[in-house]
This record gives sequence, structure tokens and C-alpha cells, in this order.
Amino acid sequence: MSARILIVEDSPLVTEAFSILFTEAGYEVDTAATVAEAIERGTSEVVDVMILDISLPDGSGLEVLGALRDSGSLPRATLAMTGHNDSESHRKCIEAGCAEVLLKPVPIAELLRQIKRHLQ
Amino acid sequence: MSMPDRSDPAAPKKRLKTLEAEAKEAQRTIDELKARDALKTQFLSNISHDLRTPLAAIITHAEILREGMLGDLNTKQRDSVSGIVNGGQQLLDMIDEILTYVRGASDQVTLARTTFSITEVVDQVRLLNQALAAKKGLTIERLNGEDLPPVHADRDKLKHVLGNLIGNAIKFTPEGGRIWIRFSRRGRNADELVVEVGDTGRGISRGNHELIFREFAQVDASPSRPHHGTGLGLAIARKLVELHYGTIWVESELGKGSRFFFTLPLTATT
Repeated sequence: MSARILIVEDSPLVTEAFSILFTEAGYEVDTAATVAEAIERGTSEVVDVMILDISLPDGSGLEVLGALRDSGSLPRATLAMTGHNDSESHRKCIEAGCAEVLLKPVPIAELLRQIKRHLQ
Repeated sequence: MSMPDRSDPAAPKKRLKTLEAEAKEAQRTIDELKARDALKTQFLSNISHDLRTPLAAIITHAEILREGMLGDLNTKQRDSVSGIVNGGQQLLDMIDEILTYVRGASDQVTLARTTFSITEVVDQVRLLNQALAAKKGLTIERLNGEDLPPVHADRDKLKHVLGNLIGNAIKFTPEGGRIWIRFSRRGRNADELVVEVGDTGRGISRGNHELIFREFAQVDASPSRPHHGTGLGLAIARKLVELHYGTIWVESELGKGSRFFFTLPLTATT
């Protein structure tokens, strides 16, 4: 069974691009565009890797991690995606439990490599 | 401005009132300009951040195509798609430059100092720029530095400064030219490191030596100028060098190449 990736991203443009990328790379893909939707998707199905945008319309993406931890549904790895290239955002993501903090846009080879690494 | 009437005993008081009113007016103007500047900074920050999202989608789609994930491409198709990726990447670099500038302008840039070898960082930046330089038949050499003590600085910020100076040298040096990095020391105890990035490019007239370090300034700002950019690179470089208590300047003449210098303290500065 292939690994399941949950894309949490409010831009349909980026979600569509990642969905194509991960599907073609052989993964199962699920998507969520808000904190609430991400919590719902993350608790109803087992997620192996979560690609998490930090700025979401109804709050910070990091809130998703807290809620999934509380319900015992944390993915094996969460890769944060941010447009903010500063050490403060980076620190907050790591403290919240993200395995990696990636700056948008991440080259696809790097993104696939990171996912593979965290699934091993 | 009228001269005070010396025969009128109330003149000094009147004059004082006028001056106070003028000072208030000036303060109001300063406050208004500061508020507008803060608004501009916030706007640049938001727009730069928001531009990254659609750009991320464009680059990702183009990379998926280029890597053949949706089927094989012929050479022409791959070259064309590579053009989209490279163009997107260039745009992204410009957005990053604006973001760095905005953070600097609003004093959000802080240094994370560590102790490291500057020659190692110079060699990394040289390597990163090697392919671009080779396309124009340019060489980038490091002339000395093996015996230098380590520097205490922010590695990433220093890389940014060097990348900017070397990038400019590549941009403004015609084919077959030379770019070099050379170190020297100055100060009473030779405790200040001077880093020189020189080139055999077209040079900068004396009248523009100050201008080029100002934000948004370009020597040729016409729409038909041969080199495009944000005009922020050197302003950012100056800001980053000054955060390290260093200075940055250029020595150059038109047609005789340019030598950019910046200084860094060799001993730890807190």
C-alpha cells in the first residue's frame, strides 16, 4: 500500500501542482485548505506525511499539529511550507513538532527526497 | 522669511511663536512621512509574500513537466519548460531581495554570529556562481586568504553580501573578463579584515559611487537599460555589512573595472 500524503494548503494552484506531483510519484493524496478541514482529514484517515502551509485562512497551520497530537493522530512526519524565510518562523515550526521547514517554492526533487527520507 | 523688527519689543516673542509653529508643522510632516513609509514597508512585505504562492505553483508545474513525470518531452519542449523554471527562479530571487530589504528597513534583521573560515564561505559562493560566470567566459579567482584567522559573523548574511557583489561583477563584466576576491588587513592591530571583490568590467563613474548603495538606485534606470534588477542588492549589502560594524565602498572609474571593498572585525564584537 502506498504512503498517504495530506496537503494542507489554501492556494488551489499550489494544491493542484502538489497533487499531480505526489500522485505521479506514486503516493496517495488527500487535501485540506483550512485548519478545521486539516484536523478533520488528519483524524479520519491515517496520514504518513503532512505537507503543512503555515498561513491558513482560519488560523496558523501549527494549530493542526496540536490538535492531531491531542487526538493521537500525528502523521509520521510533518513538513512545514512557509513563504517566510526568517529564523523566528523556522524556530516556531520546529518547536511545534515539524520535521522540516521548507521555503516555498521547494524544488520538486528536494521535496520528493525529503518525503522519501521521512518515510524510511 | 522676514527679518525681526528690532524696534518692536514684542518681536522676539512673535518670532518664537512663529518658530514653534514651524517646528510643529515640521514634526507633523515627519510623522506623516514615517507613517507612509511604514505603510509602504508593510505593503512590500505582503506583496512579496503573496507573490511566492502562485510562483511556487508555476515552478512546480514546470518542474513536473521538465522531469518527464507526465511523459517524455523532446529537446525543444524541455528547453522551453526549463525557460519557465529559470525565469520563475529569477523572479523568486528578486522577490527574496525585496523581502530582505523590507526586513532591513523595518529593523527586523538580526545577526546569528558564529565563528568560521571566511575563505570557505568565499569558495562556496564562487562555486555557486561558477556556472553563470563560465557562460560568459569569466573566471572567478580567490587570490589569497589561506592564513586568515576565523571571522565572527553571520554566515548566511555574509554569503548574501558576497553573492551580491560577485553576482554584480558577473552581470557587468563583458565576456572573457576576470573577477577576483582578495583579502587584506588593516587597523592598529590588523584586527579588521578588508574583503575586495574586483572585476575588469565597465566600471562606475565617480559621481555614482554613493548612488549605487542607495535603495532602488540604478546607474542606468531607463526602461531600455541592459541590466534589470530591483536596485536593492547593494543597499541590502550595505545594511548587512553595517550590522557587522563594517563599512562598504567602491573604487572604480568608467571603463577601468570596479573594486568593491567591505570590512569585518576579526575579533568578536558584541
